[in-house]
This record gives sequence, structure tokens and C-alpha cells, in this order.
Amino acid sequence: MSEKLNSKQLSKKITDEYMEDAFRAHENGKLIGYSTAISPVELFVAHDIVPIYPENHAVANLTAKKGAQLCSITENLGYTSHLCAYARSDLAYRESGITVTKGIPEPDLFLACNAQCFTLTKWFQVLARKGNLPVFVFDTPEYIMNKKAREEIVKYCVLQLKELIGFLEEVTKKRFDYDRLKEVMKYSAQSSILYKKFLDMAQYKPSPISIFDALIGMAIAVYRRGTPECVEYYQTLCDEIQEKVDQGIGVLPKEKEKYRLYWENLPVWFKFSDHAKLLGSYGGVILTSLYVHAWSFEFDLDKDPLVTLAENYVSRFSNSTIEDRVDMAMGYFKKYSMNGMIMFMNRSCKAVSFAVPTLKDILVKRTGIPALVFESDMGDQRFYAESQVRTRIEAYFETLDRLQADKPAA
Amino acid sequence: MWEDLSLKQIPEYAKDPYPSIRKWIKEKGKKAVGSTIADVPEEIIYAFDFLPVSLIGTDKPLKKAPSRLPDNACSLARSNLELALSYEGDLFDGFVLPQVCDTTQHLSDIWRISFPGKYVESYLAPRQVDRPSARYWVKEEIERLIASLSNWSGKSINDKALNDAIAITNENKRLLQEMYEIKKKNPGTITNKQFFSMVKLAMQVDKAEFNKTLKNIKASLKPKKGKNYTDVILVGITCDPPEVYDIFDEAKLNVIGDTLVTGSRYLQGIAPQNGNPVEALTERHMKNGFFSPIHDNVYKHFEEVKALYKATGAKAIIYVHIEFCESQEYDLPDLKKMIRQEGMPMHILDTEYQTVSLSHLRTRLQAFFESLKGGSL
Repeated sequence: MSEKLNSKQLSKKITDEYMEDAFRAHENGKLIGYSTAISPVELFVAHDIVPIYPENHAVANLTAKKGAQLCSITENLGYTSHLCAYARSDLAYRESGITVTKGIPEPDLFLACNAQCFTLTKWFQVLARKGNLPVFVFDTPEYIMNKKAREEIVKYCVLQLKELIGFLEEVTKKRFDYDRLKEVMKYSAQSSILYKKFLDMAQYKPSPISIFDALIGMAIAVYRRGTPECVEYYQTLCDEIQEKVDQGIGVLPKEKEKYRLYWENLPVWFKFSDHAKLLGSYGGVILTSLYVHAWSFEFDLDKDPLVTLAENYVSRFSNSTIEDRVDMAMGYFKKYSMNGMIMFMNRSCKAVSFAVPTLKDILVKRTGIPALVFESDMGDQRFYAESQVRTRIEAYFETLDRLQADKPAA
Repeated sequence: MWEDLSLKQIPEYAKDPYPSIRKWIKEKGKKAVGSTIADVPEEIIYAFDFLPVSLIGTDKPLKKAPSRLPDNACSLARSNLELALSYEGDLFDGFVLPQVCDTTQHLSDIWRISFPGKYVESYLAPRQVDRPSARYWVKEEIERLIASLSNWSGKSINDKALNDAIAITNENKRLLQEMYEIKKKNPGTITNKQFFSMVKLAMQVDKAEFNKTLKNIKASLKPKKGKNYTDVILVGITCDPPEVYDIFDEAKLNVIGDTLVTGSRYLQGIAPQNGNPVEALTERHMKNGFFSPIHDNVYKHFEEVKALYKATGAKAIIYVHIEFCESQEYDLPDLKKMIRQEGMPMHILDTEYQTVSLSHLRTRLQAFFESLKGGSL
């Protein structure tokens, strides 16, 4: 029946079923495992542990502009205002029950992978203390630019994945099924290829998708990878976008698409649609970021599943060196023909943001394209200065216009 | 240079060790390799005949670092970057930088890009310590650091050189431990500032020379008990600027235990001697005390603080918070709650490396101890 659904309907169906399964996990003899969005969740799926991502729940609340309210509650508990807004809104949800969704089920265990950030580890530790629950830290040393070191890092990560399997077996009192893992990996690999294909459609002119479509489209990759429905969703999505490409339908009409932009960092969730409209009014479309590509894995099914998992998770952009991040971004600049960049200094996300000034300098030098830098917070409106951001965006487009006007005719 | 310092000279050398390091390097014709805290095995750097220098911030103004690290980055990380960018960078031929938290995640990259002519290596200690893989990884990283330094310097080291470095470092730590014992029992003999300056200086200068100073001072000490001291323990990572210790000394607080990386956590790090030195340094790492960014046992910190408080019979706990240290900031509310539930009085000091005035810290600390005296003291 599901083949009749469009991607939006399919996404809703998958999400509803997933949350239904999550809320009934204990009735069905399953455990709830809280996980970081970037973590080898394939092991959870293969072991029938329902993965829940508090970050996703936080995004729902922050997008609905609940950030300031929720963050204030957490600050009253003694936490500082400069911690991650995901964490602050989640801790407030635990305290107050305030949410724009039906909430998320309570955890039985935690998996924190620091390839994404260290904040999640500390946030999960806070939650674990409340219920004296087990936390497994999957430690991924920075994927430094040294071939031999990388081989050793992967070995260390494989060792830890074996420890993680032992940990899961101990918690669930159930033997881990490696054949099941291979099956899960197959789905994960397929959906990752399709997800990447979807993101790469931004290379067409006019681009049929903007980063805002990518941010909506990535949700299923985050919480349902490793399942057949995830593959089905991305196949449907790719087919839909391909139709737009075939018909020449862009986010902006071809003649209005002047600036194809790169975005650095997570989005300002509560300004999601405002930013899309504002940029669009100047002929700008943000096409991509390293963040949305974080889930375009390239699993090698011919390898030991633990090795390909380790190789993929340790090499995410957030765990790569600044030089590697530059190379990744440069690849997209070229592939997507981008001619502008917005560098967001996100107070919430130190792991990504502290690299931004250095990253920006190198990218500007290598592309010759000026950058717009602005500082705010992805979820806490109190750190967002509307008029300042708007003025900077306007000034940036004026600069781009001027540069374009100064260009000698081809 | 550092073999014959008096007790009174130590705080001034510790406050700004760089003129003496600069002079020493010139005289000896050696290279200095800086590292940020924590857990870089300095013995390895020493065994290569370089001077290992722990970088512990500067109180000089920030000029260049804010353009690399925004104002919500850990105060120590910004201060260290400034120290190298604006003030003492020329002193160092290289840096070994550990990755422990989100602030330090890309610090090595930032330093490598900022200092293209210098040697910059990451030390990727595990951020979990309770599983066998952690030990495996520490050993791998120690071996990688040795290979990296060897590759950079064109030198190689043998077990003897590393064991000798371990022996000198261990002697240094034992001497400091002895000094600490004297200070704890006789607060009138060595002030808090003098003692913690000794530890800091030990992390920054040539230990073989500094050991002579420590022995001389120890031999010349005339234990003085002093009167009306209040025993406290110090909890945190670092305690800076050093004038904070002046406030403790003025208030007649006697620090009789601590968990500082620039204190007991450093002194406890005595590696086993005369065996395989890489194994010894690995073993030492696994036995290190709690350090918020790398320990995943959520109750370990509380248990350690509680045990220290009880064992020392301290009257209060002073928690030193470094501005924008995210790791501490996630731990602190629960730690505060658990400590208070145990009935242990705790005062939190918010510190910042570029602080110029400490009057607010002094006022708050005085108020805390006055209220404590009105109660249980």
C-alpha cells in the first residue's frame, strides 16, 4: 500500500509507526536506547533496541520556538545559558513535561558517540544520573591526517564496537545476532546511497532542493536507518525530486536563482522558513552544508560490518580535521557550483563552531568568494538579533551583487 | 636557573615562568615543547631532551585569540592560544595538544594552522577509561607520540632514556608530595600560594634542576603550625589566576586536599619504574584521578570528593569553576546537589584567566566562611 504514498506521507507514516513502537517498547519486550544522532545505531537496530534521539525531539521544540521558555527552566536548575540548546531544552522537558510533540519515551540505556560532540556525552550522563542507567561512550578520536594513525583509530573503534555488543548483550541478556547486523547494514548502505543522491540533486540548475528540504529530508536517515522503510522513503524522495529536475522546477525559477550558497553549521531552527524566504528574495538558495551530509555514509558491505561502521562513523565531518572539512566543503562548492557562503557561529554547538573562523578563512582564500559570518544560537531565541542578522544578509547580497557586476563579461 | 630558588621566589617564577625558560633554552641550546592539560606524558618529551612545558594560560590581555576562538570558549583554551599567538610563541619549537572536550576537539587543528612552521601533534587520549580498549588505546597513543617526536627531531630514544625521564619526574612528584604533607600539617610554613606555585612551576621547568630547589627548601624549612587555620579541599581542574591563592591565604584557609590537574592529580601520577616504560606510562594513565572530560563514570567524581573530604577532615569544599568549561558546567548542578545532601559545605569560585580584579571573589569567599563560622565551625 505504501507505494501510493508520497514522500511527505511516507515520512509521517514511518515516524508515527516508529514512535508507536517506541512508546510500546517495554510491552513488546524491547528496551529504549538513547543515542546520539551520529552513532553506530545499526547495532541497536540489529539487537531490537529502539533508538531514540533526544536531539530530534529537541529540534521539534526549538523549531516551534519553545527554546527560550525551555532553556530558562533548565537555567533555573543551575545550568548555564551557554550550554547546548538541545540539552537545555531536553533537561527542561524532563522537568516540566513541556513539548510540542507527544514527548519521547524514557531511556533504559545510552549510547554516546563523540564523533558528533562531547556535549551529548555530558548531557546523557546527566540523564543517566537521574535513573542510575548505563551509558556506553563510543570514543572516536579525531580522524587526524595520518594514514597509519587512521588505521589504528579504526582498530580502536572496532574494539569498542565489540565492547558495545558485549554491553548490549549484558543489558538485554540476549545474544547478539551478527547475521541480523549484516541485514541491517544492507538497508543502511542502500538508504545512505539514496540519501546522498537526494542531497546531490542540489547540483542541478535551478536546484530542485534547498538545504531546508535537506533538513526535513534527513530526519528519516537519522532515526530509521538500517530499516527497509528508510530505503523505501529515500527511493520515493529521489523519484519525486528527479521529476522536478526533469521538469526544470527549482526552489527558485531558473532566471531568479542568482546565488547558490553554502551553509556552515546546523540551522537556526526557529528561523528555518524565515531564512529561506529572506534569502529567496535576494535570489539566494542555500544548497548544502557538511551537517546534512553527515548521514550520507558509504558503507562497504564487502568488509567486516564492524570495520565499515568504525570507518564511517569516525570520519564524519564533525570528527575530521579542519583541513579535511575544508576539502569536503570544497568538493561541494565545485560539485554544486556554489558562489556564496554563510558561516553560522552557533553558540550551542561548540564542537562545530569553534572551527568556523579558521575554516572560513581558508575557504574564502581557496574559493575567492566572500563569506557572511554571523553569530547566534540554533535554538535559543534570546541569542538571535533579528535586525542585525537581516542587515548582515542584506549587506552580504549587496557585496555579491557588486562583485558580480564588476566581473568582466564572459 | 631553577636549582637554587628560594621559597619566596617560587610564586614570582610561577606567575611568569617564560623569561627564565627563554634564558635557560638559550643557555642550554635546547628546544621547548609546550602542551596543554591534561595527561600528555611529559616524560616522553623530556626523554627526547626537549623541555616539556605545560601551558596554563596567561593573565595578559587577549588580542588575537578571540578571532580564532569565540567568547563562549573555555577561558583556559583562549588564554593558552593567546599566550602562544601574542606573547611566548617564539619560545616553542613545537606543541603536543590533547583532545578531551568540544573546545579541544579542533584545537590541534587551529594551532597547527596558526603555527605552520612549528611541530604540532595531537595526543588523542581516550575519553573513556573503564574498558579494556582504553588501555589499548593509551599505549597506541604513547607509541605514536614517540614515533612522531622521533620523526620530527630525527632522534630516537631507548627504554633507558624514557626510564630516566620517568625517574626524574617521579622524584619531582615525590618531593612535591612531601612538601604538600608539610604544608598540610604546618600551614604557617608554606602558604597555599607557595605550594601550588611549586606544582605549577614543576610542570613548566626543568625538573632535574627544580628538584634541587625542592630539596634545598625542604632541608631549610622550620615547620610552623600557625593558628586559626580552616582546613578546606579544593575541587576542579585548575585554580587561576594565582592571586586566588592570596585570597585563601588572607582568609587563613589551609588547602589540605585537592583534585586539581595542577595539583594532586598531577602529583599522583607517579609511573612504575624500571620496567617497560611505555607500559609504565600506560599504567599511570589508567590510574589517574577523575578528570571530568574523560571519565564516563558519573558518580566517580562525587565519590572522590566525598572520600577526600572525609579523609582529610576538611571543614569545607571550594569548587573552582573555569569560565565556559562546558564539562564542569554539565557536572556541577548534580555535584552541588549531591555534596549538599551529604551536608558538606561547598563554595563555588568562578574563575577566568584574564580576570584583573578579584575583589568580587574575595567578598564572596569571605561571606561564605563567615556564615560557616557562624554555623558549624
